[in-house]
Amino acid sequence: MSEPGAASAERVVKALVAANVEVAASLPDSWLAPVLMRIDAEPKIRHIRVGREDDAVAIAAGVALGGKRAAVVCQNAGVLLSANALAGYAHNHQLGFLVLAVYRGLEDDRFHYQKYKGLVSEGVLKGLRIPYRVISRDDELDSIKSEVDEAREIPHVLLLRHSALFPEAR
Amino acid sequence: MRRAVAAGMFKKHLAPDDIVVCGLGSTRRAWFEVGAPQLTYNASDPMGTAPALALGLALAQPHRRIVLLEGDGDLTMNLGVLVTIAGAAPTNLRMAVFINDRYETGGGQPLPNPGRVSYVQIAGAAGFPWTCEAHDETQLDRLIPALLERVGEAPTLGLLALHVDPEASPYPADPGPTTQYQDRAAFQKKLLG
Repeated sequence: MSEPGAASAERVVKALVAANVEVAASLPDSWLAPVLMRIDAEPKIRHIRVGREDDAVAIAAGVALGGKRAAVVCQNAGVLLSANALAGYAHNHQLGFLVLAVYRGLEDDRFHYQKYKGLVSEGVLKGLRIPYRVISRDDELDSIKSEVDEAREIPHVLLLRHSALFPEAR
Repeated sequence: MRRAVAAGMFKKHLAPDDIVVCGLGSTRRAWFEVGAPQLTYNASDPMGTAPALALGLALAQPHRRIVLLEGDGDLTMNLGVLVTIAGAAPTNLRMAVFINDRYETGGGQPLPNPGRVSYVQIAGAAGFPWTCEAHDETQLDRLIPALLERVGEAPTLGLLALHVDPEASPYPADPGPTTQYQDRAAFQKKLLG
């Protein structure tokens, strides 16, 4: 039996590779551990570890500027922290890339200190006018490829719920 | 050292196919005013993100040398990016930090702790394999070639800090004829065809 989250991590990385994503810039969350381990093991993706999520956003924008595809992998706190960078690259530079953000703070999250993030994340994304979708099931992870394809001149955000990343826990 | 003189030194030493990324503010204006031929991207806003953008460009274009001309105000906003860049260790990225200890565009207000911050020591402690500091034109003329390439050494990431005079460089009255995304599209057309 595989480790919890391993099958979804495989799905995520296969979709990124299919979308020709060559750089993934990440800042960890405990829910992301299987995905980040799988990215580390993927020879077609250069994994860049950052100290702040807006660095990951700017790295992805730079990769897009250079004609390649990139993804940011982080928690939804990273989306909140990166509001200025996301808005700037979306609406000033018009550079596109994918942000995969685990969606902490909903009813499936037992940790009270995560709740504020669930409370405000979608409202912030709407305010930033950044396209986003919530991914709740593991079979929806395959849509990562098409989301990368669509994120040409504006970042797209996928909010990944625990049920998508750890379907075996349902 | 005048900012324009420093920008002119980079124009003199950079290779024709180097790509320049400029952080926002007076450094960018100085670079554009010397009319250098290198393909240049103005990283503009968001403030503090030019180094990470340059890193991403270096990763996407591993066969081109990327030279970031950065101001100390922009870098001070996000010193942690030096750790990220050192960790990624792109051998085709070079950083030059113009130091005047002021937010020139904002009206010349001092940076936090002006005159007592060593960007070279910070970068070295963050893991940059090569750092150096220029206080005058003679030193800069010698150190820019060393930043770019050192004889007998493999190409490495490097950071050159250079001290320039405080000179008024007020917020421009006119933003220019093109928008950021038009500039971005033009840059990509030249880079990618």
